[in-house]
Amino acid sequence: MEFDLFLRYGPDLLKGFGITLLCWIIGSAGGAALGFVIACLMRWSAAPVRWVLGAYIELIRGTPFMIQLFLLYYGGPYMGLVLTPVQAGITSFIVYGSPYFAEIFRSGFQAIPPGQIEAARAIGISEFTILRRIMLPQTLVLITAPLTNFVIILSKETAILSVVTVPELLFQTQTMAAETFTYVEPFLALSLFYWLLVVLTAELGRRIEIRATRHLKRAASST
Amino acid sequence: MTQTETSPSDPIMTVRGMSKWFGNFKALDAIDLDVNRSEVLCLIGPSGSGKSTLLRCLNFLEHYDEGEVRKDGALIGWQEGPSGPRKPLKPAALRAQRHHIGMVFQQFNLWPHFSARQNVAEALRQVKGLSADDANARALDALDKVNLKDKAENFPSGLSGGQQQRVAIARAIAMEPDIMLFDEPTSALDPELVGEVLTVMKDMAAEGMTMVVVTHEMGFAAHAADRVAFLESGRLVTCRPPDEIFGAEPSDARLRSFLQTYRERNVV
Repeated sequence: MEFDLFLRYGPDLLKGFGITLLCWIIGSAGGAALGFVIACLMRWSAAPVRWVLGAYIELIRGTPFMIQLFLLYYGGPYMGLVLTPVQAGITSFIVYGSPYFAEIFRSGFQAIPPGQIEAARAIGISEFTILRRIMLPQTLVLITAPLTNFVIILSKETAILSVVTVPELLFQTQTMAAETFTYVEPFLALSLFYWLLVVLTAELGRRIEIRATRHLKRAASST
Repeated sequence: MTQTETSPSDPIMTVRGMSKWFGNFKALDAIDLDVNRSEVLCLIGPSGSGKSTLLRCLNFLEHYDEGEVRKDGALIGWQEGPSGPRKPLKPAALRAQRHHIGMVFQQFNLWPHFSARQNVAEALRQVKGLSADDANARALDALDKVNLKDKAENFPSGLSGGQQQRVAIARAIAMEPDIMLFDEPTSALDPELVGEVLTVMKDMAAEGMTMVVVTHEMGFAAHAADRVAFLESGRLVTCRPPDEIFGAEPSDARLRSFLQTYRERNVV
């Protein structure tokens, strides 16, 4: 084992880790935001808008991420859309994640008993306030676990960005492996990076869940 | 008791020729009904007779298809206009109508992530725009009226069914509505919890609140109502004072057989 290689390639690997983090965080946040908007529109907008969004969800979920990435990066220029690898990576990440996030939000909305929403309407609370004050606080509690799960999946999907030469972690590791003819150490180290990401995300999700369910504990202790 | 200050010709709500379809099923058939100020009007009838649907049309939770529902002269839910297809009111206008119509549901429908106080204060803040302090003070007053001031910080999951329903009543009366709609308010409760809710409702009636109550509690209808309306198959069969409904043998055969089932049950 030649771990001294890491001293030489350390800066590149860390840079790759930074790019991975960047694509993952912006991609997840953007995908979640877009997914939330889609879920709201699917619930409250007119039928034609819902059909278009339904088709979008099916299309994106029905095709592999790598092909979406290829289409955007290599096909984009034919439509006048020239993106750097990182820009293409983040954009395709947002698009790829949005229908899954939308479905998570939809399932959360659907889990709110309709009577609660009806009671709010009957007393004259506006639809936006119902979303903000009645639905979202309860929805977020319900979907923290599936959200965390999907964000973890996305963290590992960032590896695919290497195919369009985004200088992320896998790309840097491959470079290192090719230049030094060592394979085991770099990929062990790579696994360690992803594992670290997943553990941190899971812990973050756990803390959010504890915080978001505080009122349930309070309720239980007040009986 | 409240009848003394009620003038029979002072309706707060009027229903005229109101019909409602669910697909091909005619749920309500040309209903005519007045709700007088400060009266307690009970709606009784078999399951599926349309009494809950009628109640829900009064605040437009269900859209009636034909006829009119008016409160203080204003058409509920639909835009006034010439004949032809009607357009629903703009959301803000419908909300403004609903601010003055309180509603209590069979399943309470409290918001579980809010305490009892927050459940009552929420609409005061979001709809009436009160400050947090004012909303909380009024929420506590309303909870006091339903004898739950000491449970103000409990969450719904820490309250009994009867307590939850009383919080739901407090939530509605805190908005100071002109009229209260009750949709089978005691049907989801254990028998020993029914009394506490009915007591609160009788107190409200004594204070002059106008109330329309869909109920299976014939005792409440007989003793607390000023008038009782009997519905069957989407039609309003009769609407009379309770002693004429429950007293001597009713003339209407359907009402007679409906009440017979209750009498048989209570004998056991």
